[in-house]
Amino acid sequence: MLASQIVNDLALQCHELVKQFKDTRAVDGLDMEVPKGVIFGLLGPNGSGKTTTIRMSLGVFPPDSGDVRLLDAPDPLSVRHRVGYLPEERGLYAKMKVIEQLAFLGTIRGLSLSEAGRRAAAWLERLGLGDRQNSLTNELSKGNQQKVQFASAIIHEPELIVLDEPSSGLDPVNSRLLSDLILEQKKRGATVILSTHRMEEVEAMCDAICLIHQGKPVLSGRLSEIKAAYGKSSVAVEYDGAPGSLEDLPGVATVRDTGRAAHLRLEPSADSQTVLRALVDRVRVRSFSLEEPHIEEIFFEKVGGTPSRDASATQEVRA
Amino acid sequence: MSPRQIYFIARREYIARVRNKAFIFTTLLVPILLLGYITVLPILFTRTSTEKLSLALADFESGKAAALTERLEGIKEPTITVRSVEVGSKTEDEIRTELSDEVRSERIDGYILLTPDPDVGAHARYFARETGNPVLMGRIEDAFRSALLESVLAGSGVDFDQVRKIEHSDVDVITVSKQGEEAGGFGAVFFSTLALGMLLYMAVLINGQGMAMAIVEEKSSRLIEVVLGAVTAMEFMTGKILGVLGSGLTQLGIWLLCALFVFLYGLPALAMSLPPDMSLTSLIKPEIVLYFSIFFALGYLLYSMMFAAVAATCSSTEEVSQAMFPAMLPLILAFFSTFYAVTNPATTATRVLSLIPLFTPLVMLTRVNVLMPPLWEVWLSILLLALAIGLVFWLCSKVFRFALLMHGKRPSLIEIVRMMRAA
Repeated sequence: MLASQIVNDLALQCHELVKQFKDTRAVDGLDMEVPKGVIFGLLGPNGSGKTTTIRMSLGVFPPDSGDVRLLDAPDPLSVRHRVGYLPEERGLYAKMKVIEQLAFLGTIRGLSLSEAGRRAAAWLERLGLGDRQNSLTNELSKGNQQKVQFASAIIHEPELIVLDEPSSGLDPVNSRLLSDLILEQKKRGATVILSTHRMEEVEAMCDAICLIHQGKPVLSGRLSEIKAAYGKSSVAVEYDGAPGSLEDLPGVATVRDTGRAAHLRLEPSADSQTVLRALVDRVRVRSFSLEEPHIEEIFFEKVGGTPSRDASATQEVRA
Repeated sequence: MSPRQIYFIARREYIARVRNKAFIFTTLLVPILLLGYITVLPILFTRTSTEKLSLALADFESGKAAALTERLEGIKEPTITVRSVEVGSKTEDEIRTELSDEVRSERIDGYILLTPDPDVGAHARYFARETGNPVLMGRIEDAFRSALLESVLAGSGVDFDQVRKIEHSDVDVITVSKQGEEAGGFGAVFFSTLALGMLLYMAVLINGQGMAMAIVEEKSSRLIEVVLGAVTAMEFMTGKILGVLGSGLTQLGIWLLCALFVFLYGLPALAMSLPPDMSLTSLIKPEIVLYFSIFFALGYLLYSMMFAAVAATCSSTEEVSQAMFPAMLPLILAFFSTFYAVTNPATTATRVLSLIPLFTPLVMLTRVNVLMPPLWEVWLSILLLALAIGLVFWLCSKVFRFALLMHGKRPSLIEIVRMMRAA
């Protein structure tokens, strides 16, 4: 699919993956290709099968059927030291010193004891936790624990980094730090798979995406190409006017009105000039610009308001 | 499986456990308690509580008062003074009221009432403030029996002292085995077998449960997925078990050193010795140490894996303690069957039990200690045990693979079997 268009080499290739949990098909014949050297957004509503896909890709458990090629290896476990993984379910040894914890997680990811210790100290310094090296982990704030965990996923400088909801629970300052660190990894040449619900993160960082819904990919490819395919079919408006004045505009499919500004998705056949005229009749328009749709709009269009069908599966196996 | 990964998992587990306050506490506390036990208990059981005892003696026409007084005053520890009470025309009840008042007001420590008895000559009752000291009671009873015996034998021509010696004569027991002959019979073997069995049982129980708790904690804190992102379930389980085994052996080693120290230096210093039919060499034989080490390590591995697998299916520590019982049951049964095996080391039942891997560590160890079975039986049991460990390891790693990431309701046995087939 998109692979050949970006880089020839693939970091991850999933072919017709299937995973069934009791009565729920968490992943249903999923095909996905992640090129090397990109930041890849894995999107989808809750319970769509993202975490299950990640777990199968990394060999945490095997798929019922289908194939995975991870970093050119048919057995994901054989290359797991070249992969860094930050799972959605976080946890650290509560009664362990922060630096020992980070060093331990480095050693099981393939570093020698001394190298792991050295890098752990450097990372803690980098994350602003240099003076907390000898604190017990449960003495750190939740955000700081999360930073430690993030560091543990990349301490061995892996070729592929898989981050499942990395920024949930972080304040804006730490979110920014995290984004910087992710971009830094990309510069280093690593591939990053980012599973997230934060559309602004996807918009700002991802080169390519795969949108999963009900265990199947519904949209995948390079982000710029996906957006281009939609054309300039969105309108950003800034206006002054009474609340609710933008309802039922002709040629407009959906409206996201925030009071003084709005985002309009036009119907495929609509003419933007007609929409502008209708707007001017109703409100005082301060600015009007044609844009490519936001990824959030595409997300809603593809997934809609359909509730996730396998909420039970997330309970069962925390898929 | 990568030995490196296993090493790092085991290393972390070992360090975490050895640094744990509870571990340090038990490691130090047990020898202290043990030392206290072996120094204080003998004192309690061999010494009387008082040095001097003042008694009153009232005789209601049994005629044994003089002989009993003589015997009581002959006791060296405690020194007993006996005051003879004039009964006169008073009734037994009146005497009892009077003397009991004296006991309560602490003018005397106790009193004895003698009444006639048609069969043995006299019946004695001892009234006192303190009646719980078994050593003192034994001496008073002994004095009473001697007094009766003496009056029966008086004039019969039989030497009283000789009768007493006959009463106290023993049979010396010597165990004959292929290795030679050795003083010390059932007592020594019984004692050492139970001690070894208990050691294995406790080590498995304490460390195995500690490990089960640790696994569930890792699971409930979601740590497991972080770790499973880097190591396989099998490496994780193996490392964990080895780490716990290491900490258990460290503890055991410290305890054994303490015990050895006490045996070598403590007992002579305390002027005590082992019971006469036991010797240090009869307790610690090289081949017993060898077999104990083998059965300890193998038994420990087998049970630890079972505990680990059970723990992997649980989501909370409360659940573990409930679920643990079925896994512990064979161990408990095995421990109790050692009581049977120690007295019946060569029956078919014991031989069969000792070949069943879940029972082998304790029952075969007992057999080896009590009555060395043919070597082929011992090594067959070790082989079967090793095979069982391999099988359980394979099954457990399957349980681990699917169960570690499961949360919420515990899977039923049927679900576990189904998932194991899928894993």
